[in-house]
Amino acid sequence: MSSPEAGELEDLLRRLAPQVLGALVRRHGQFDACEDAVQEALIAAARQWPSDGLPDHPRGWLIAVATRRLVDELRAERSRRTREDVVADREERSGPAVGDAAMSARDDALILLFMCCHPALTSASQIALTLRAVGGLSTAEIASAFLVPEATMAQRISRAKQTIKASEMGFELPPDDDRPERLRAVRHVLYLVFNEGYMATAGPDLQRVELAEEAIRITRMLHAMMPADGETTGLLALMLLTHSRRAARVAPDGALIALADQDRSRWDRQSIDHGVALVERALATAAIGPYQLQAAIAALHAEARSAEETDWHQILGLYTLLVRIAPNPVFALNRAVAVAMAKGPDAGLAELAAVESDDRMAGHHRVSAVRAHMLELAGDRDAAAAAYRAAARLTTSLPERRYLESRAAAMQTIEADVETPAPAPTP
Amino acid sequence: MKYMLLIYDRPDTRELFSGPDGEAMREQMDDLMAELTASGELIGGEGLADPAQTRSIRAQDGVPVVTDGPLAEAKEHFGGYLIVDCDTAERATEIALRWPNALFASMEVRPIMNAGGGEDV
Repeated sequence: MSSPEAGELEDLLRRLAPQVLGALVRRHGQFDACEDAVQEALIAAARQWPSDGLPDHPRGWLIAVATRRLVDELRAERSRRTREDVVADREERSGPAVGDAAMSARDDALILLFMCCHPALTSASQIALTLRAVGGLSTAEIASAFLVPEATMAQRISRAKQTIKASEMGFELPPDDDRPERLRAVRHVLYLVFNEGYMATAGPDLQRVELAEEAIRITRMLHAMMPADGETTGLLALMLLTHSRRAARVAPDGALIALADQDRSRWDRQSIDHGVALVERALATAAIGPYQLQAAIAALHAEARSAEETDWHQILGLYTLLVRIAPNPVFALNRAVAVAMAKGPDAGLAELAAVESDDRMAGHHRVSAVRAHMLELAGDRDAAAAAYRAAARLTTSLPERRYLESRAAAMQTIEADVETPAPAPTP
Repeated sequence: MKYMLLIYDRPDTRELFSGPDGEAMREQMDDLMAELTASGELIGGEGLADPAQTRSIRAQDGVPVVTDGPLAEAKEHFGGYLIVDCDTAERATEIALRWPNALFASMEVRPIMNAGGGEDV
């Protein structure tokens, strides 16, 4: 027995959390009660292990403690509700030993992911439940990561659990026919968690749980379960490539730094190399998909030694493919930027007009910001200033507003440095 | 995305709530609050005391001057707010539409600024 370091202990507990929960649900059913019991076991471990040392079998320890809590809870519930059918129902479900050995801990974690990202749940609930049940985070940690009161987050989790209970879904993998769609939902939830974390790194609160890293950790786990799934590989690559820029994207004073202006020596090379290797393998071996294409675009940005050396023609080719296989106005907007960079601002502005006619983009600040950037490239500084100002009024992000206002001001400085790099798009 | 729903009152709002339709309106409010709590969308909210209790501060020639009472007599005044975290602006608007004040005074739905940001602005 050794006393674990705090960081190590946390990693271990997070890794074991879905395995322990999976083992419990498989044996006893009752996802909601099991989930509470596992949280209590994790808290007990975090309290006891640093002083008592790691048990010989941490997973077994957690399962034993969680099971004890669960049994106590079920007993208390049984005495509250005397109806016997509750017991009968439970015994039937736990009935024939489905064989712990047959189903691996890996399957358990996968089933949990599918469950937490079930389409019957709202997006906010999917995210909260995934972070708690699969990520092993506490409600308080999740609440602070999303800047909402703990009671609000607790409510989202409890509602998600009620929905799962009401749906009476079994603890098993979705049928083969549903798998691709359900897997898409899982990837989307992980993408949302990553995005939330990545965007938040511009914020002032550094004490928050690193959601981007948490998303990468769970996606890595999913990727390990299905290494041949191209889109999961693509998603992991996209996250790693985007996350590689985290140290370079925000100035010490909190101001955002556009991609073209970032100090590329501060990009995380290891993360880039890993991301590039993943996306290359996926593109070579799997059916092509939107995450792989976005990752391929991110890889081209990551591999350019300077903003000027960016291969915009190839990026444009990838965006053209992307909007073809996944029509979506945000991709179309990014494609318009690539057109401007590859073929000049006039071609970009013409492309942008088509994007603007899409109602879904009405009032979106990025349309105005992209227009401003193209007008700036075209040398129309007055119009660019007006468009930057319009974009500044439309964004709800304080650092973005500050950035856009500073661009507007720069357009109107008479001796403005024409070389001042304009914001460049990210995939 | 977080939104503040600004609730505006009329000078006779209190009378409306204690009048014949008052109970239905209070019920409507309670139901909506219960729904928002259960869904995990409610972040918070408060009601404000009568505008007669206002102290106002206004700049006069670059100097802040304190006076008793609201800045201006108005047909409507700010009476309280809710903060909700919703998937879409449409959902936030739907909530505001169901607050009783939408029927006799007014509501405003405004996005709350956040500290995060993307580099692809």
